[in-house]
Amino acid sequence: MARIGVFVCHCGENIASVVDCERVAKISASLPGVTYATDYKYMCSDPGQDLIKSAIAEHNLNGVVVAACSPHMHETTFRKAAQQAGLNPYLCEMANIREHCSWVHDDHEKATQKAIDLVRIMVEKVRRNHPLEPVRVSVTKRALVIGGGIAGIQAALDMANGGIEVVLVEKEPSIGGHMAQLSETFPTLDCSQCILTPKMVEVAQHPNIKLYTYSEVENVSGFVGNFKVTVRKKARSVNMELCNGCGLCTQKCPSRKIPNEFDRGLSNRSAIYIPFPQAIPNKPVIDRDHCIHFKTGKCGVCEKVCGTKAIDFDQQDELVNEEVGAIVVATGYDLYNISMDQPNDKLEGYGEYGYGKYPDVIDGLQFERLLSATGPTGGKILRPSDGKEPKNVVFISCVGSRHNAKGITYCSKICCTYIAKHGMLYKHKVPDGNAYVFYMDVRTSGKRFDEFWRRAVEEDGLVYLRGRVSKIYEQDGHLIVKGADTLSGVAVEVEADLVVLATAIVPQPNIEKLFQNLGISYDEYNFVTEAHPKLRPVESSTAGIFLAGACHSPKDIPESVAQASAAASKALILLSKPELEREPLVAKVNEATCIGCFYCLRACPAKAITEKEIKNRAGEVLRKVSEVNPSVCTGCGTCVSVCFSNSIDLEGFTDEQIYAEINSVIERMSVIQQ
Amino acid sequence: MNDERTLKIREIAKELLSKGEIAVFIGYGKGTCNGKARPIFVRTPEEADELIFDSTCSNNLVTYLKFPAVRDEGVVGIVVKGCDAKALVGLIRESQLMREQVRIVAVTCEGVVADDGQLQLRCQYCDVANPTFYDFLVGSPVEDQKPRDFSGLLEKYETMSVEERWEFWQSQFEKCIRCYACRQACPLCYCTRCIVEKNQPQWIETSSHLRGNFAWNIIRAFHLAGRCAGCGACEDACPVDIPLMLLNYKLEKEIWDYFHYRVDLDPESVPPFTTFKTDDRGEFIL
Repeated sequence: MARIGVFVCHCGENIASVVDCERVAKISASLPGVTYATDYKYMCSDPGQDLIKSAIAEHNLNGVVVAACSPHMHETTFRKAAQQAGLNPYLCEMANIREHCSWVHDDHEKATQKAIDLVRIMVEKVRRNHPLEPVRVSVTKRALVIGGGIAGIQAALDMANGGIEVVLVEKEPSIGGHMAQLSETFPTLDCSQCILTPKMVEVAQHPNIKLYTYSEVENVSGFVGNFKVTVRKKARSVNMELCNGCGLCTQKCPSRKIPNEFDRGLSNRSAIYIPFPQAIPNKPVIDRDHCIHFKTGKCGVCEKVCGTKAIDFDQQDELVNEEVGAIVVATGYDLYNISMDQPNDKLEGYGEYGYGKYPDVIDGLQFERLLSATGPTGGKILRPSDGKEPKNVVFISCVGSRHNAKGITYCSKICCTYIAKHGMLYKHKVPDGNAYVFYMDVRTSGKRFDEFWRRAVEEDGLVYLRGRVSKIYEQDGHLIVKGADTLSGVAVEVEADLVVLATAIVPQPNIEKLFQNLGISYDEYNFVTEAHPKLRPVESSTAGIFLAGACHSPKDIPESVAQASAAASKALILLSKPELEREPLVAKVNEATCIGCFYCLRACPAKAITEKEIKNRAGEVLRKVSEVNPSVCTGCGTCVSVCFSNSIDLEGFTDEQIYAEINSVIERMSVIQQ
Repeated sequence: MNDERTLKIREIAKELLSKGEIAVFIGYGKGTCNGKARPIFVRTPEEADELIFDSTCSNNLVTYLKFPAVRDEGVVGIVVKGCDAKALVGLIRESQLMREQVRIVAVTCEGVVADDGQLQLRCQYCDVANPTFYDFLVGSPVEDQKPRDFSGLLEKYETMSVEERWEFWQSQFEKCIRCYACRQACPLCYCTRCIVEKNQPQWIETSSHLRGNFAWNIIRAFHLAGRCAGCGACEDACPVDIPLMLLNYKLEKEIWDYFHYRVDLDPESVPPFTTFKTDDRGEFIL
């Protein structure tokens, strides 16, 4: 016998201003199976929850319907309340009379009728609910961090210091990421390398960190607490145990005209190379695409000069398996490039800036390398085309960013501040030079950031011009920058020696493949989506996978570090439990009628279904059916929809429940029609 | 009329049976009604002389393979036309049959005739006149492979207004007596407990009433979407002449348009409903 309690929430005015909650409660009390119904101003408040708890005890309720907001908001709240009163939490359901009713309707009478119908539907469902027990799964107390930039480094160090073994995977030959390329950092102008490299060393030396550089995550399976990860260790062609990092090979390598990625093409490197002097690990790697030995079978100079016999041309990619309980995604960013060819047809290049054909039109990271003491010019500002010191430098903000026509609507956030820094550092190095900044708005929000850009203008004399640049072209060895100063309303033309573009921050190219592999959601730009924009900013849409840094959105260093530590602490919380409880709302196979076509097995996005053999007493296999692993199943229902014989049901959303819900609406409609 | 194919089939059946490679051979024999061939089960080499093949061999023998009682006899030898082979491959693809459980005698086919002597509708769209999935191939190659383009057939119905179409199908489904002959004849309707027999809850009404008839016939067709071999067995079996193949062809067309998938003779091909792709077309989702 159903003894259901219905609790109608006013949500202050949110529901009660449109829906007559008192009447909803009164009519609900007369529905079949309902023993008790009442309404209250804030059902989620402490007295509201007490109301539910005492009604459960007093009326011996065996089902609860809370007519209030979306279950996304408070299902957990009310299920906990029901549990505290001794009821199985899965006997408590919510009827959404706020988002689905009061917020979207203004006819009071009809909205009240609809609210009653929504309650009626849920009562029919709860009458068919049965107690469910959470699925318990064990936890592997290890974590994976993908990406060895500052966010990944911070997350790895925090978790490692918290006593968890961390696997850090970095696709480049060294960790450090973009931060290692920077000269000085805003707003304090402390040297980037000086604050980063000690952390890199700490990673390398930490007993709890297992570092895979020049490696990529190939495959991820499993689920929260129990991920299985395959890492591809790309062939370095150098035996890391034998190599002592003397660097003789990189000096003797005859193939030396390869654009240096670390200097963003502003210098050349050899085919066997160490990405930068402070690299971790500080050992070389052979770039097989450019190595003479790999191209022609000849050369082998590095092998001859190597005193420790560390060169290994036959080395193969190696696949290693790691089991972890939590994953932090910190894959970082790349810079949009203004060229004609774009990674997808949503983006467009900059024809007005020559699609990147002028060597003295460079991006922000290239300028960082010119500023950097470890850069190609040793920290002198010399322009790429002829090595002369530029006397007029133009900085252009929002190149790509906030530019709908080019395909990116968002703000890249850090550019305004780094442009001020670039101009400032340029003026420090070339005091008689001029720095012009074309900007749309100056958005330097952050602790002491605004003071910083004011200083650039007031003390260092940067000239800020509010307006876009319409064209850049070359004339007599200069770059003519045509733009407008919209504040004074005049056209501006600057004869520049160097132009620095603050190009948009975009996710790493093709990173969506990894996100698909991880099963986490990402937006139209391929930035990872957080689980909740305010309350769960470092969690991905998938349990056990956290996010840190610029893979989520453009971020500066302090924000990336803060997010990394937050992600690490979320992961540590997860890994601190001996076992995890998962929602039991999972698929279940009716073995009696399953015909074993295994369409569900192939369609299951979580790979939760396997073949099960049904045997007789003699141990002979009679037939095969599908079986769902409840600790892997995400309850998405894909299997239910492909099953011809209707042999799979989703707990909490069984056919019987859905059918009763639909029927209650149809019955009601036929009453109205009569 | 003993054509070359008949003699060859007999020869193969005899050899398989006498060597003990198969327990039973399913083929066609002379019928007793309108001169039309009927399915026969041959268990000894002597009986193999009863086998024939001609243009009246319309039935899809693969239907028998869905029954455990037949499979339990042992390895089965079977005569298939191209369309039947699609159904057989479907059973393998859907784990109902293992390849080694059958010895397949495929025949090239220029088309078979219905009871009235006319070429079957399905043969006008046949793209498997020369089957490619077999142990033995019988008959000389047929040149005429036809495109599976149903637009001419379907145009009449697709251009109807919703009301007209509703009325058309109402007049068809009204006739349905819920004998489930369509289901029994279909080689791919193999569930041991069909959804129509599930009553907790009872999604499909079982009485021969228009409402339940609609649900049944539409769901039957939907469950065959992306799986139907196009053998026409359902329509041939229907005692009240409901044009079931119209539904099957329409769905085949839709599956092709949406997913670019067509049932073929490759057991490894991946039907669209068995995949989960994040980049699937989803314009019907608001």
